[in-house]
Amino acid sequence: MEKKYKLVAKVPKTPKSAYDHGRFISSLIEHQIKHFHEIEKSLLKPGQELTDITKIKTELQASEYLKKMTALLHPQGAEKPRRVAPPRKTRKRAKAAKSKGKGKTKSRRGKRKSR
Amino acid sequence: MPPVGLDNLKHIVVLMMENRSFDHMLGGLMKKYPKINGLTGNESNPDMNGTMVPVQPNAKFQGQLDHDPDHHFPGVDLQIFGGTPPGPGRVANMQGFIKSYATQGTGINASHAIMSYFPPERLPVLTRLATEYAVFNGWFSSIPGPTICNRAFAHYGTSFGNVDMNLFYIQDPIQSIYERMVQAGHTAKIYYYDQQSSTMEIVNLLKNQPRIFGSYSQFIGDCKGNTLPEYSFIEPCYNDHPGPGGGQILASDQHPDHNVQEGERFIANTYNAIRTKQELWETTAMLVVYDEHGGIYDHVVPPACEADGKSAPADKTGTAAPFNFDRLGVRVPAILVSPYIPRGTVVPGTEDPNGRIFEHACIPGTVTNFFLKNYDQRTSREKNSNNFLAPLTDILRPDDDCWVFDV
Repeated sequence: MEKKYKLVAKVPKTPKSAYDHGRFISSLIEHQIKHFHEIEKSLLKPGQELTDITKIKTELQASEYLKKMTALLHPQGAEKPRRVAPPRKTRKRAKAAKSKGKGKTKSRRGKRKSR
Repeated sequence: MPPVGLDNLKHIVVLMMENRSFDHMLGGLMKKYPKINGLTGNESNPDMNGTMVPVQPNAKFQGQLDHDPDHHFPGVDLQIFGGTPPGPGRVANMQGFIKSYATQGTGINASHAIMSYFPPERLPVLTRLATEYAVFNGWFSSIPGPTICNRAFAHYGTSFGNVDMNLFYIQDPIQSIYERMVQAGHTAKIYYYDQQSSTMEIVNLLKNQPRIFGSYSQFIGDCKGNTLPEYSFIEPCYNDHPGPGGGQILASDQHPDHNVQEGERFIANTYNAIRTKQELWETTAMLVVYDEHGGIYDHVVPPACEADGKSAPADKTGTAAPFNFDRLGVRVPAILVSPYIPRGTVVPGTEDPNGRIFEHACIPGTVTNFFLKNYDQRTSREKNSNNFLAPLTDILRPDDDCWVFDV
């Protein structure tokens, strides 16, 4: 947060153990998939195979199917690829590079951890 | 003259969470805030042995309701009427919650969990918003039934006669609130969390009107860029799935058995996106509301309501009786946020003879009345629904008087 606020309330983090993409899907997600399956049927072209949604048991499997169908219906909702920022050229490094006669500092892009 | 808060209003944002009752989330606030119609601690339900089990402040974030409590039409009927079958003169008593949960193979002791509620300090986001802005004592789900038909009321002002989870087809001339807005030259969007979570129930709309959809990251971008539409509806993440770069995205909808804390963080992030953009903060009203109670105990008897003009036949309700959409579902948390709302505002409900009743048809009703004024192609139930923007006043609270969350 750039601006300083007077009243700030801390929100606890969710424990990592909360994550379980192997959890069986609820009735809600099961119906969400059924709805998308109806749309899939209406979009099916000759030769294309309909997804067997009876095999979708877990939240991970559900999310994969939903992604496939949503991307088809709404490609503009896709996450934009994150731009990897070039390394900052600090004064110290720029000075060292200049003294070594190099035009620019060496990119460390390949070593950066993807976010 | 409308209050200054309404006069300055440019954006309405609705965030709809999943499956928690009012008492479960906010009932514990009544001890400190007596105007909030929550729990005294003496409310109880009989279990399968006939033992009366009181409400308990022992709700857990996850793992307590891993059998998803029944919230389909017959299950909710049992919860509200305690097992008395439909017939003339039967009286709602809110005595069937444990009985209903026990039918799901939970065992006697585990079935008591349906009476659990959160002490306020366990939900620092929801309880802070409820006590800092306006909380509605009388906001009910539109149907005593599950998610899909209830969410339909938030988008269309009706479920087109459906009381279940099945795919429904829109019936002319009713249009969604988004289509109404866009066709009148206004702006509106549904922001789903991401493609892996996608949207709930309005798949037909996604197929036919993709331009009215966006993702949550686009919502954040629209807040930052001050390009937020006049009306926004936000959907939380409905499942756990891998995120970009090897990360993990947690479901934030608070549907049992998803982690409630993650939902708190999602609500906080959404609030912050508006709160930390000054021009947006002063021109936006944000409603946080839950689609239905998810089978979890609430002590307030749902009132009768204006009939929807539709009827669900007995074979659809599963109770051996038709349903004429003339009674609301169980009460849910609903909070309105704006700097034009005085701290500690409580909108009275059924406990007050002058109270007002709200349900999800109020969402398209209020948004339509505010942006489109006279618009006729909707149900009379929606037309006559109460205005949820009423708590906005003339007085803008100073910036230093409004909280920000450190998420």
